[in-house]
Amino acid sequence: MRKLRAEAGQVSTAAPNALPQPAKPTFLSAASSPRLHALADTATAPERAISPELRRLLQRHAQLRRGPATLLSSDREVPGVEIAPGLRYTEEFADWLTPPAIIDATFARMEPVHHYHLLYFDTETTGLAGGTGTRAFMIGAGDWIDGRFRIRQLTLTTMAAEAAMLRTFAAWLSEDTVLVSYNGKCYDAPLLATRYRLARLPNPLTGRGHLDLLHPVRRHWKHQWENCRLATAERQLLGVVREDDLPGSEAPAAWLTYLRGGSARNLRRVAAHNAQDLKSLAGVLVRMATMPG
Amino acid sequence: MNTLPDRYATDDLVLRDPGDGRTLAQRLSKRYAARITGAFVVPGREGSFAPLPEDLPPALAHALRTRGIEQLYRHQAEAWQATRSGAHVAIVTPTASGKSLCYTLPVISAAMRDKAKALYLFPTKALAQDQVAELLELNRAGELGVKAFTFDGDTPGDARQAIRLHGDVVVSNPDMLHQAILPHHTKWAQFFENLCYVVIDEVHTYRGVFGSHVANVIRRLKRVCAFYGVTPQFILCSATIGNPQEHAEALIEDAVTAITESGAPTGDQHVLLWNPPVVNPDLGLRASARSQTNRIARLAIKSGMKTLVFAQSRSMVEVLTKYLKDVFDHDPRQPPRIRAYRGGYLPKERRAAERAMREGSIDAIVSTSALELGVDIGTLDVVVLNGYPGSVAATWQRFGRAGRRQQSALGVLVASSDPLDQYLVRHPEFFQGATPEHARIQPDQPLILLDHIRCAAFELPFIGDEMFGTEVATPWLDLLGEEGVLHREGDRWEWIADSYPAIAVSLRSVADGNFVVVDRTDGRQTIIAEVDYSAAAVTLYEGAIHMLQSLPYQVERLDWEGRKAYVTRTHVDYYTDAIDYTKLKVLDCFDSSHAGCGRAHHGEVHVVRRVPGYKKIRFYSHENIGYGPVNLPDQELHTTAVWWQLPQAVLEAAFEQRQQALDGFLGAACALHIVATVAVMAEACDLQKSVGSGDGAWFVSADLRGRGQLRGSDGQPVALAPDAPFTPTVYLYDAFPGGIGQSEPLFQRREDLVAQSVSLIERCDCRAGCPACVGPVPAADEQAVDDPAATTPKALALRVLALLVAL
Repeated sequence: MRKLRAEAGQVSTAAPNALPQPAKPTFLSAASSPRLHALADTATAPERAISPELRRLLQRHAQLRRGPATLLSSDREVPGVEIAPGLRYTEEFADWLTPPAIIDATFARMEPVHHYHLLYFDTETTGLAGGTGTRAFMIGAGDWIDGRFRIRQLTLTTMAAEAAMLRTFAAWLSEDTVLVSYNGKCYDAPLLATRYRLARLPNPLTGRGHLDLLHPVRRHWKHQWENCRLATAERQLLGVVREDDLPGSEAPAAWLTYLRGGSARNLRRVAAHNAQDLKSLAGVLVRMATMPG
Repeated sequence: MNTLPDRYATDDLVLRDPGDGRTLAQRLSKRYAARITGAFVVPGREGSFAPLPEDLPPALAHALRTRGIEQLYRHQAEAWQATRSGAHVAIVTPTASGKSLCYTLPVISAAMRDKAKALYLFPTKALAQDQVAELLELNRAGELGVKAFTFDGDTPGDARQAIRLHGDVVVSNPDMLHQAILPHHTKWAQFFENLCYVVIDEVHTYRGVFGSHVANVIRRLKRVCAFYGVTPQFILCSATIGNPQEHAEALIEDAVTAITESGAPTGDQHVLLWNPPVVNPDLGLRASARSQTNRIARLAIKSGMKTLVFAQSRSMVEVLTKYLKDVFDHDPRQPPRIRAYRGGYLPKERRAAERAMREGSIDAIVSTSALELGVDIGTLDVVVLNGYPGSVAATWQRFGRAGRRQQSALGVLVASSDPLDQYLVRHPEFFQGATPEHARIQPDQPLILLDHIRCAAFELPFIGDEMFGTEVATPWLDLLGEEGVLHREGDRWEWIADSYPAIAVSLRSVADGNFVVVDRTDGRQTIIAEVDYSAAAVTLYEGAIHMLQSLPYQVERLDWEGRKAYVTRTHVDYYTDAIDYTKLKVLDCFDSSHAGCGRAHHGEVHVVRRVPGYKKIRFYSHENIGYGPVNLPDQELHTTAVWWQLPQAVLEAAFEQRQQALDGFLGAACALHIVATVAVMAEACDLQKSVGSGDGAWFVSADLRGRGQLRGSDGQPVALAPDAPFTPTVYLYDAFPGGIGQSEPLFQRREDLVAQSVSLIERCDCRAGCPACVGPVPAADEQAVDDPAATTPKALALRVLALLVAL
């Protein structure tokens, strides 16, 4: 447990402007018994209907592989409180760039907006393949509350909790919310639209203003920077240098490992990465809104 | 080149004045009586009409009248009634019988009345574009406000969103449904929520492996529809096949109302079966089919008749086009009268050929099977087939491209030297009386099923004991769970992998990538054609003459890995013909058992197709003027097979000569192949047969006389030393890379297959053998009086099979 806390601390100190620790980190052991039963069934079931010859044929020709064996781990601690079965919630406050009351969004060709209408959001997903088979297992949202930056994260520890996660996130949006994202118009928003549709829930993103920072960043710095990824923007504009950052490409494996009974260590690193993304989003927005000219 | 083979003087005997199909048939019959082995007429029909239905929306009725449609054909009215009653409908009528109106009327009416949406599926993009053009014309005629779009690989990204939201009729193909629409169904939510009709045209093309895939795509479509709470009505259309209703029901797994009587009037259809004259009586050699096809087409064009020539290969299309162009297009100042049409041309070139034919600005098209489907090229008078297309159904489909309402049409089948062709023209009654082939699919073929359960799980999670088609999906889901692409939680199976499974599944099994042909003449770098993977080895080897619109290009370099062939324009008086052959080797035997005096096996085999070289053949004289080597990787296929063998001692006791045993094996292979194709409901081309040595040292192919010819591993004819081991083996193998799992069920039914083959041959009416049992046999065998030694191919095949019958 000490080691875990140490790791958690390490992640948050990676940010240059030190943040307070999560308000109340609660470590509960994940309710994983139904999942383990499922694994046990999987191991014995196939013999009952598929003959060994057919199996051999399928294995030979359909490139059937055995999935990577996941080592069962005792490190099963996912931060936050369980607000619905299989859905964990964390909330933390950061003292982070004081925003101007009115954000001048003309750089993004939008009307000025009061900062308390802004909701920064970023999802962590099971992959980049797209289509109906890709899902978000974590939604992070940031906003300014009384001058402090609040970071809320929803994490799935079971797949069945997806509807609860989508409903909770929908409740965070109000009529006059303006969403802020990095490439969210092309990635996060369509992905969530698909998930809301599959869950037969109304899509709360429809009709909301959406400020996607990727496009204005590209317009300004496309020719100066080697690329316009968020990590580049935060380094160039905010001086943020991440340490021990889990690359985004490893996020799917981190969650999958946890889901299959493995260690939660990398899943916690995903949460830290997601929190940093939200802070950087807010930082980049403030910098762009206050840029001269 | 100096002498053209035909004397034009004789043309005039045939061509006194332009006529119709009947007069041309009569003239040809008179002039070439000896070559015509069969002539018959499919009588035309009076039209059978019905008034426009009263419950048709008035604006639609008005649009129809504006376009000159005052009444319907009876089958169109029947289709209207059947769809109004809510049934799934299958319409089976010939080409040009106004099939599309059968689905256009209910679809447009529902779109106008209820904002209902429809999905059309066509097997090719060209057909989809035709259909949208037709819908737009009707729409314009009545200002109906119905929006129709094609949605295929060519649809630009920015148009897709609008099509998803606003398309009333979306015209696509099964591949797009499989790879782009279903895996993104949430983007199509509004479309699916209002989906009323699914129209699937040309369903006879959805057979075999392709059809089995499409049936599974339809299962996935129905599953997604259920998610959106709709159960659309299916309207299917088919060309004539033996089992249209059964096939339609197999595809959509539901009962359909079949409408099979066409009410469209047709003129008489004259059919001639044409055997090229014997040119060398000593060797029994006949003139080439090509020369005869050329002659018939020339006469038809000179009689002012719009002509379509079908050739079996792309290179033959080019050769025939060149010959006809030499006669009709020798003046470069005049617009061309002859065009070639085949896969491999760029789409815009094909569209131009279709348009030119429709508008009547050209007189003839030479095509591969690409024009067999209902691509609109207007009305034609004469269809000439250079060789038998391989099935009765395809022959009638091709003949069906000719025909006008009031005027008789002509179809001529010119036999090649292929034994099957020769059999057919000798037996016109076989062709005349034959029922068209049955279309068969096997959607529950394990590998295909697994692929589509994988795709379906990506689209929507499986819950509980959900059925997929006719099977409970659970065992398959377990398998995918083990692979790590699905995650089971309680009774739900959810997709978890970072992959898009539909991309890895090709419905048409041609996933190996097309070759592009790059013209480098005078420093150009222009792509002038595409060739699909399977044809590349036999058409794009270095040195090959690649004909394009009858202009010869020489292949200078073939980049096999990069899938590119670099060619330059050349001027030669020859074309090239690849020499290719196939051999088989057993890799692994999964299982074996006794089969009479011999054994039956099931296992994995290695099939090699090799192109060792090519021949240079001079235009017109067709003399062989040289060989060239080809240095290409063998095309290899790992697949599964079932095979039968007899021990040498048994064979030596049963046959006086090894040749007889080989002939017997060839005949047995043919019968087993026919029976097996039916048994696993495969397309004949999905399952292949081969006869070879058990150790892969040699294989047997039928020579021109239908007798077994031993060939060594280099493809050259060999003689076997008298003391060499002799274990002929008959193989039936899956013709697709990786196999499609047909051999295991065949092995399980091995005794049944042998028994059925025996009864197939015994019950066949032929005396010595025919394509319906042991394969085509030479005329000499056929005329043989009852032979006490019983060495006809039929008797020899029965002798082999008798040794394999279970004791």
